Formats: sequence, C-alpha cells, structure tokens
Amino acid sequence: MAADFWWWLLMACLVWYSTITVYVSIRGAWDIRGMLARLQALNDDDPEQ
Amino acid sequence: MSHFSWIDGSIVGLYLLATMVAGLSVRKYVGKVEHFLIAGREMDVYLGVASLAATEFGIVTCMSAAQLGYDNGFAGATVGITYGAAMFLVGYTGFCVKPLRDSGVVTIAELFEKKFGPRIRWLSGLVIVLGGLLNMGIFLRQGGEFLVLVCGMSPGRLEITMTILLCGVAIYTMAGGMLSVLITDYLQFIVMSIGLLAVTFLLMAEIPWTTMVDTVRDKYGEAGFNPLVNPNLGWSYIVFNSLLNVAVAITWQTTVARLLSAKDTKTGQRVYTATSFFFVCQFLIPAVWGIAALATLEPGVIPIGGNTANAMPIYLSRTVPLGLMGLLVAGMLAADMSTDSAYMLTWGSVIYNDLLAPFRHGRWSEKRGLLWNRAIIALIGVFLLIYGLWYEIQDGIWTYLTITGTIYLSSMATLLVACCYWPRANNWGAAGAILVGATFPLAYLVLQKLPATQELAKSIGPNYSGIAAFVGAAAAMIVGSLAKDLILGTPRLGDADGR
Repeated sequence: MAADFWWWLLMACLVWYSTITVYVSIRGAWDIRGMLARLQALNDDDPEQ
Repeated sequence: MSHFSWIDGSIVGLYLLATMVAGLSVRKYVGKVEHFLIAGREMDVYLGVASLAATEFGIVTCMSAAQLGYDNGFAGATVGITYGAAMFLVGYTGFCVKPLRDSGVVTIAELFEKKFGPRIRWLSGLVIVLGGLLNMGIFLRQGGEFLVLVCGMSPGRLEITMTILLCGVAIYTMAGGMLSVLITDYLQFIVMSIGLLAVTFLLMAEIPWTTMVDTVRDKYGEAGFNPLVNPNLGWSYIVFNSLLNVAVAITWQTTVARLLSAKDTKTGQRVYTATSFFFVCQFLIPAVWGIAALATLEPGVIPIGGNTANAMPIYLSRTVPLGLMGLLVAGMLAADMSTDSAYMLTWGSVIYNDLLAPFRHGRWSEKRGLLWNRAIIALIGVFLLIYGLWYEIQDGIWTYLTITGTIYLSSMATLLVACCYWPRANNWGAAGAILVGATFPLAYLVLQKLPATQELAKSIGPNYSGIAAFVGAAAAMIVGSLAKDLILGTPRLGDADGR
C-alpha cells in the first residue's frame, strides 16, 4: 500500500517533468524575449546608465 | 569503472560554451543596479519557474536527496512533499510574500528597516549573509566529489577543475547579474531536466520497481516507506522540515529574489505555485537513484559508517553508458552552476543593499554601484574556494544544510511574519529573535565539533535543535516586543512604530 503511494508519486513526477518542462521551456523563451525588449527600451529612455 | 569518453566531454564542453555565451551576451542590457540585482522587475511567470526550479536544485541537493533515499528508503523523499506543499500554500495564499513584494524592496532586510529601524536592517543583513554563505560553503566540494566519482576524474584534479568552473560562473554572474542568472538558469533548467529524465528512465529499465521495493523492505521494513515510523525521521523531522520549508519559501533570499524580480505580486505568487511540484520531483527522483544504489551496490562499497552520499555517484559511474554520461554530467553541472550563480548574486545583493547601506553616504552613481556589486561577487567566489576546500561535513549533507539555514531562517521568518502581521512588534523583539534564532543552530554546530560534547549533540539531534530555534525566536519576538511596550510605553500603531 505504502509502496503504491511512492510508485504513483514517482509516475506523476516523471509525467510532470516530461510535459510541463517542455511547456515552461517554450513559454520561457518568449518571456526572455519580452524581458530583454522592455529593458532595452528602458535603457534607451534613461540618460544615466 | 566510469564510462566518461570524448563524446561525453564534447557534450559537456558544448553545454559550457553555450552557457558562457548566453550569460555574457546580456551584459549590454544592464544599465542600472536595479537591473543587475532584480532584472529591473521585468521577469514573467515561465522564466521565473525555470529559474527557481534550476536555482534550488544543485548537485548538493541531488546528493543529499539521494543520500536520504539510500539511508531511509522512500520515506527519505518526504522532505520534497513538505517543501512542495510549503511553496504551494505560500504562493496560493500570499502569506508574507504578498506584503513583501508589494513593498517594492530589493532585499528582506530592507523591509525590516521600515518596521524596526536601520540597526535591525543591518543586523538582519549580517545574519542572512552569514547563514547563506555557510550554507553555500559546501556546494563546491560536494559538486567536485560528485564529478570525481561519476567521471572517474583523478582526485588531484578536483581543486583545479572546480576553480575553473567557479571562475566561469563568477564571470558571467559579474557581467549580467540577475539577467545572466535568469538566462543561464533557463538553459540549465532544460539541460538539467533532460539529464534527470534520461538517467531515471535508464535506471528504471535496469532495475525493476519490485526489486527497489523489496530492497527497501528488506533493509528498513515499514520505516522505508512511512516516515512516521522511521527512527531517523519521525514527527520531529516532519515538524522541523515543515517549519523550515515555510521559512525558506518566505525568507530564503535566493528563493525570494525571484518573487522580487517578478513584474508584479500576482506573477511572483504564480511562480511559487507553478514551481511547487518541481520540488517534490527534485527530491523523489534522486531518492530513487539512491535506492537503486542501495539495491545494486555490493556490501563493502560503502562501508558501515562510511559516507553514504557517495553511493549514488558510484552507482551512476558503473551504470550510465557512453553518451548518456555526458548528458548526466552536463545536467548536473547545469544544476550546480545555476545554483552557484544565483547564490553568489543573492548574498552579494544583501551585502551591497543592507550591510553597505550605512556607508553609502549620498547617492552612488549606477556605475559605482555596479562596480561594487561585481567586486562583492568576486570576493564571495574567493570565500567559496577557501571554505569549500577545508570544511568537512560531520553529519549528512541535508542535516548540514538545514542547520546552517536555520541560523537565519528561524529569526528572519519570525521577523517577517511579525513585520507583516503583528502591529506591536518592535526592535527589541526583533533583536531578541535574531539572537535566539542564531544561538541554537550555532551551538549545535559547535557541540557537534567538540569531542567532549559530540554525544550530547547526538542525543539532542538536529530536529529538536531546529524546532527549538523556531520556537525560541518566536518567543523572543513576543517577550522582547511586549517588554519594550511595558518599560518604555512605545506607540503601538503606525508603520514605523517599532524602531
């Protein structure tokens, strides 16, 4: 019974890492692009850098 | 015998090159100290999730989780569940993290100045830096020992290898600060995830699940599955780790740095909730690696009383084939470098923002501020090299991490909760909480080291010492604050009443 709990938790971890990681990686790339664009705009506007 | 070949070396070399290029390429976006320390508060959810998941999982975390699995069976992974639950609950409810992010500070100690005055800010900064650097001090040696065992590298080349690696991390962290940390964390998150998954699938193909379960049952019985009946764990372990995990979620500066770098409070909270299950994974998966080592290593490889942290890397060095070994080493280097860079930047930010605050008379130019931040990171790198090469761990890795973490977690968590939710808290209570919170874990570390008191330290155990630190810090906050009220009759309401 206790072993089953750890089995299902491990399966959940492997599924999570296999799927969510891909999703986070794709969305994270867009986040980086947006962040750097906003920082570039801020730097262009700011005289003291 | 290790299976590390030129193919594996090429994979690792390619990964290191990509990391350095990515880390250095964002230097041109750093125009201000705020960009350097908290990425100009422009971080969005998914980058935050990748960064936090990569930062809080290093080789030292992997080895400590595997050691917990080797020593306690599946029950050793319980700390991952308490950690994940703490991150989810704090993120979902906004407990402490909402008022912290709303305040617009760069470090936790800066928030304390608003409530408790500049002296408490400085003292908090000192405790945070001491606890953080002691905690981080073992990262380099543990990472090096892992590489020596897995790659079959000569132990004589450990120091030079780790020095070169640390220099690489320091260079890109000094160049781009939090921007470099976020970008390289993102890359490292991907490489680390591929390595973790590939090794786990290989391991499960090699060793049937039933073999692992039978091994744990033979060695530990029910205690290998249920932490409550495990003599090494039990209620005190779960209570201490639950307190510790909540304290980490609300005050561990490297974790909180993602909250403070987020573009708004809601984004910061979403980063916490979305990352929570990664913490379960990052303890259970290495624990299973440790159990695989327990199932396959012949008696004598790890002698009775020997360092069980070495079991998992020895097992991997024998099992992981060519090509996949490069992926494993790249993944583990990714895990370690992301942790090192974030930790160097974060403790450096506390030194600059809080410890140097009284000495920064007038407004420093952005250029001067950036120069100081970069110099501080370089000095932290030197400290890591020196401390990491001579300090020997007495207990298990996780125990060392929790004890050194408690030096600041117990008092800082008490201060933050009081700062956010208790109007009568004041600087007397804050000073008492800092003193008491640091005394328990430091005393325990000293008792452990002195031959005359080692037995006493063993009888107390790290869990009760840790719980005492949390309870003591909270009691000191209440007693100290009420005593000041009683003796001086200080005002009770308002934002800066506690000074």
